[in-house]
Amino acid sequence: MADSVEEIQKAKKTYLMVFGALLVCTVLTVAVATIPFFDGGAHGFDTFDMVLGLFIATVKATLVAAIFMHLNHEKKAIYWLFGSGIVFCIALMFLTGWAYADPIKFEGFYEGITNWGK
Amino acid sequence: MSNILDEIPYIVKARKDTGLFNSKIAIWLFLASEVMLFGGLFSGYIFLRIYADYPWPERALPVMPGFINTFVLIGSSVTVVFAWAALKMRKYRQFQVYMAITLLCAVGFMILKTIEYKAKFEHQAVRMEQTHAVAEGHFRKVDGEYYTNMINFEGTEFSFDLSRFHGPFLEQILKSAKDAGAKLTMSETTAAGYDLAARKFGVDLEPAVSEETELSADLLDDLRAKFLDRREKRSNLRIAALREAWSDVRTENAGFNLSDRELAAKLDVDSAAVTDNSEAPVQIVTFVSDKPLPLTFKPKFIQTDEGSARLKDGTGIKGQLTDSTLLLDVDTLDFRQTARRAEEKGLDPIEEIEKTWLITENPQIAQIWERHKEEVQKLREKLIERGDRDENGEAVLVPNENDIYRITWQEIVFYLDDNVTEEPGVFAGFAGPNHKKFDYPSIDIPREKVAFQSNLTPKWNTYYAIYFLMTGLHGLHVIGGAIVLGYFGFFSGKMYREHPEWLANRVEVGGLFWHFVDLVWIFLFPIMYLM
Repeated sequence: MADSVEEIQKAKKTYLMVFGALLVCTVLTVAVATIPFFDGGAHGFDTFDMVLGLFIATVKATLVAAIFMHLNHEKKAIYWLFGSGIVFCIALMFLTGWAYADPIKFEGFYEGITNWGK
Repeated sequence: MSNILDEIPYIVKARKDTGLFNSKIAIWLFLASEVMLFGGLFSGYIFLRIYADYPWPERALPVMPGFINTFVLIGSSVTVVFAWAALKMRKYRQFQVYMAITLLCAVGFMILKTIEYKAKFEHQAVRMEQTHAVAEGHFRKVDGEYYTNMINFEGTEFSFDLSRFHGPFLEQILKSAKDAGAKLTMSETTAAGYDLAARKFGVDLEPAVSEETELSADLLDDLRAKFLDRREKRSNLRIAALREAWSDVRTENAGFNLSDRELAAKLDVDSAAVTDNSEAPVQIVTFVSDKPLPLTFKPKFIQTDEGSARLKDGTGIKGQLTDSTLLLDVDTLDFRQTARRAEEKGLDPIEEIEKTWLITENPQIAQIWERHKEEVQKLREKLIERGDRDENGEAVLVPNENDIYRITWQEIVFYLDDNVTEEPGVFAGFAGPNHKKFDYPSIDIPREKVAFQSNLTPKWNTYYAIYFLMTGLHGLHVIGGAIVLGYFGFFSGKMYREHPEWLANRVEVGGLFWHFVDLVWIFLFPIMYLM
């Protein structure tokens, strides 16, 4: 944590640089989505655009978390706390995939109910 | 005097074991839970999108408000961290200035959000019967007032379900009868039903009803009370008879160790006890009008069919649909669902689209469609020029589903306005098409062509459901954060004088929350607006 006046002055410069980088990233993410010249992959929106868009968003999020939220130099306790939150968050993203890969098998289920007690 | 910082430990000084002041641990715990909350919603978005049974409104939102809002939030993230830095250097005035800018950003964000939401609420969409073609736009302004989607029905016979008729619907019917000077009397069948009940069971109905009985709210309330009363009595008798039968069968078979299922087979219910003295309750009462009564309902309250309609409370109406034409100024056309269905059936999508009511009956829409086909052809050629070819010589870049089957408001303006030489970009129009600036083609949609109508709200499709849910929840975070930061910024003079470091820690923790809100938006913006 920056505590002395000099360190804070230095940190402020970093914040401004990150601010600039975030603005550039925002313009970039809109440009690849709307200007045909920057459109990669197939014409219009496709997997390539999705990956690129999410990649830029992740870069921006990392900048905010690392610099503005000081996660680049934090205490261990916070890494553990927030890290486990992130792990579960990422796991949530795969819920649909897991549900698809492991459907509940209903074979024989209804017969079991109708024959119940017989 | 004891120092408050001794009484509340570790809010300024770090704890030895964690190396942190306690509030920081607390906010990170909270942020971890917030990450999982929004994570679950993003996961929900993925699910809805993968399993959507309709064409996703890809890149359908106007980009400009979201784009500006991204800048606004990033800017406020910088000012909040600057405010903290100013406090660390003990520059209170500067701290307050930065906090004020942060709050202004929050207000600006919410204003833009409001404009955006308002545009969605005003924007209507209609899905056509059979073809699934979609026309979007604004309802037409007639005599200075916007048309509202209402269903007009002329009824002559009304059947109320005594167990669940809805007062306001009844009132509307009574009012319409009063205005028309019509008389609503009990139908022969219903009167006979009551008569039969009275004769069969020797029960006097108070008030006595007959074919001359006129419909009134009091009468129906009374009949309802009697119906419910009789129904309860009947059910009590039934329960009593069953209880007796069960107790008999249990005594008779005591010692045989039979299961309930086996006992049930031996059950001998006294059927006379169930029906005796319990006249069949008349549940549906029908009244006939001597004149057709004009009625107007919101589409969600009435379902119409050939010669009949049903209200949401189960009231059946006989009569006919009268003019309920939908007046729409079209700014977007979407034939993607039509095309998908045609392809599933192995039909030519273009031919199927050209058979839809929208194109066969509306010359201006047909003109737009013809022009659109030309433009798609031009785009195809342009893409061939630009793109490579694969080993079979086929062009790699081709117009996609959205290019071919969806006509945006920008394209409509471009096709219809001779003064517009180039298609307006994604930033044009700010929050969407402007109906004051441009006269979009007007169409009159007969009611029987309408399968579903809604404004762009969760009712229309799951995309708008998740859009409003996530941006709404995010907006609430912005409001909550702004209130807390505002409190720290402008009600902190005393604390600053007494414990400046404590205040700095508070601002740091509040700032962490604010950065998190920014972080969520960083993902929300591309996912909702650009993908």
